[in-house]
Amino acid sequence: MSGAEHALRRISAVRGVRGAMLVSAPDGLVVSESSMEDVDGRAIAALAASLAGRLRRAAGGAGLGRPTVIQLRGETGTLLAVPAGEELLVVAVGDRETNLGLARLELLEAARGIA
Amino acid sequence: MRVLEGWVSGPLSRFLDESAARLVLLMTSSGQVVAQHGFTRSVDVMSAAALGAGIMASTGELAHLMGSPRFGALVHQGTEQGLLLSGFDTPRGRWIGLVAFGPESSVGIVQLFFQQFTDEIAAATPPEEQRGPVLAENFEHELNASLRALFGR
Amino acid sequence: MNDDVRTLTAELARDPGSLVFLDLAEVLRRRGQLDAALTVAASGLARYPALADAHALHARILAERGDGDGAFDGWMNALQLEPSHQAAHRGLGFLYYRAGDLGRALRHLEFAAQAAPEDAGLRAAIERVRAAAVPAPEPPAHPGDEAVSPEPAAPAERGVLPTSRAIPFAIDAESGTSSDSELFAGLDGARDGLLLLDQHGLRLGGALRDEDGADVSDAVAAHLAGVSREAARAARLLGLGAWQSLGIECEYGNAHLVAPTADTVLLTVRDVAVPAGRLGLVAERAAQAARRWLERVA
Repeated sequence: MSGAEHALRRISAVRGVRGAMLVSAPDGLVVSESSMEDVDGRAIAALAASLAGRLRRAAGGAGLGRPTVIQLRGETGTLLAVPAGEELLVVAVGDRETNLGLARLELLEAARGIA
Repeated sequence: MRVLEGWVSGPLSRFLDESAARLVLLMTSSGQVVAQHGFTRSVDVMSAAALGAGIMASTGELAHLMGSPRFGALVHQGTEQGLLLSGFDTPRGRWIGLVAFGPESSVGIVQLFFQQFTDEIAAATPPEEQRGPVLAENFEHELNASLRALFGR
Repeated sequence: MNDDVRTLTAELARDPGSLVFLDLAEVLRRRGQLDAALTVAASGLARYPALADAHALHARILAERGDGDGAFDGWMNALQLEPSHQAAHRGLGFLYYRAGDLGRALRHLEFAAQAAPEDAGLRAAIERVRAAAVPAPEPPAHPGDEAVSPEPAAPAERGVLPTSRAIPFAIDAESGTSSDSELFAGLDGARDGLLLLDQHGLRLGGALRDEDGADVSDAVAAHLAGVSREAARAARLLGLGAWQSLGIECEYGNAHLVAPTADTVLLTVRDVAVPAGRLGLVAERAAQAARRWLERVA
C-alpha cells in the first residue's frame, strides 16, 4: 500500500468520515480515493478543486496568503480540503457526526506526507 | 447560444452556466450540428463539427481494432485551453459534444456537468418526426437552413 | 477614422483570434455605430470570455444603447475577473449615480480613481457625487453629465440601473456612512475584519484592511462574488444539505464565511492565532448583527 493510500485510510477511519481522496487541484480529477460511500468521487474531486481554486484567489486578494485548510459545512455534513503542495488536494467528506478536529489533523498530516 | 431545436436550450444553458465552458458544439455522429455556443463564424462550426465527428469515428475504429469498447471521451489539456470531445447516446442516436474550456473551469467540472447535461438531453428528447431519406439536392438546403438557424442570419 | 475601421477590420479578418476586436469595437463606439460596435464586441467576448477588457467594453456599448441591465452585468463580470478594473468601476459608479445611489457610486468612482489619480474627469465626478451626497439627496440634475458618465451618456429617460439592484440599500446611501458604522457596532473587529457583501460582490458594510492598512474591502468583495454560489452548489451536489459556513485557514490569517440571508455573505477575518472554532462563534454573532441591520435598512 502506498503512503497516500495509507494516509487516506487513516482519514477514512475517523468517526463520521464517509471517504477521503487525493485530487489533482488544477484538473479537479481523482488521483486516489478511499472508501467513498454513497458519493460520486468525481463530483467531490471536481467541486472541491473548483471551490479551493476560487478561495485561493480570494484569500490572495485579501492578503491572507494561501489557504491551508478549507472546511465547507452543510446542514448534514462537511467537506474538508487541505492543499498538498501546488498540484494536489487531500479531500474528505463527513457526516454531521464527524470528529472534525481529528479529521482536520489527519488531513494536514496526510498533506505533509504527500507534498 | 444557438440551437436547432428548442428543447436543447434548457439543458445547454444549465451546462454553460455550471461549467463556464467557452465553446460548445453539439452534433450528431455524422457531424450534423444540433447546437453551438461561442462560435462566431459558420465556417468554424462546420470545420469543428467535421473534425469532431471524424476524430470520434477514427478513435472508435481504433478501439475496435484493439478489441476494446469504444472510447467515451477524449480530453486535451493545453496551457491556455482544454478540450473535451465526448460521445453519448440519446433516443435519437449517438451524439457528440465538443467543449472548449479555460482556466476558469477544469476538466473535472466540465466532465461532471457534461454528464448531467447528457442525462438531461436523454430525458428531454422528444420523439423524432418521421423523415424521408436525405436526398442530395435537399442536403445543401438543410445544411444552409441549419447554419442560418445557428447564426441567426 | 474610416481608414481606422478599414485597417482594423482587415486585421481582424486576417486573424479572427486576435485582440484587435477591442480596438475596432472602441472605434465604432466612438463613431456612434453602436450596433456594429456591439456585434464586434460580442464576437470578441465569445472568444475571450475571461477577458475583463472585453466585458467592460461590451458593457459600455450596452450602457450607451440604454441597456442598463446588460451593462451592469458586464461590468460586474469584468470586476469578477479583474477586481481593480478601472473602467468597470467607473461604469458602475456612473450607473449607481444615475440611479441615485450616491454611496455606492462614490465607492466605485474612488476605486477607479486609485488606478487613475490624474484623471481630471474622474476627480470632478467624485467631487460632484460628494457634493450631491452631503445635502438632502436629490435625483441628479444632469444625469448625462460628461464628468461622471463613461461618455457619451446613455439616454437620460431610460432606467439605467435595474431598480431591484439599486434600491434595497438606498437608505444606506442616503444617510451616508452612519448606518454602515452601526452595522457591527460593539463587535470585536467592527472597523476591520468584518465585511458584509451582496450576491453581486458589492460591499454593503464593514471593512477589511491589508497589513499596510489599505482598504481592500471592494477587491475582496468582488473576489467573493461567486463563492457563496459555489459553496451552495458543492454542498447540494455532495449531499451535504444547504451550506452553512465556509472556514478558510490561511498562511497569514483565518477567514470564515456565512450567509446571514439568502442574498448576502458575511466574511470574518482574524489573525491565525484565533482558532477556527472561535472564529465561527465570532462570525455567528456578526451574522446576527448583520441580519438585524438588514431588517432595519430594507
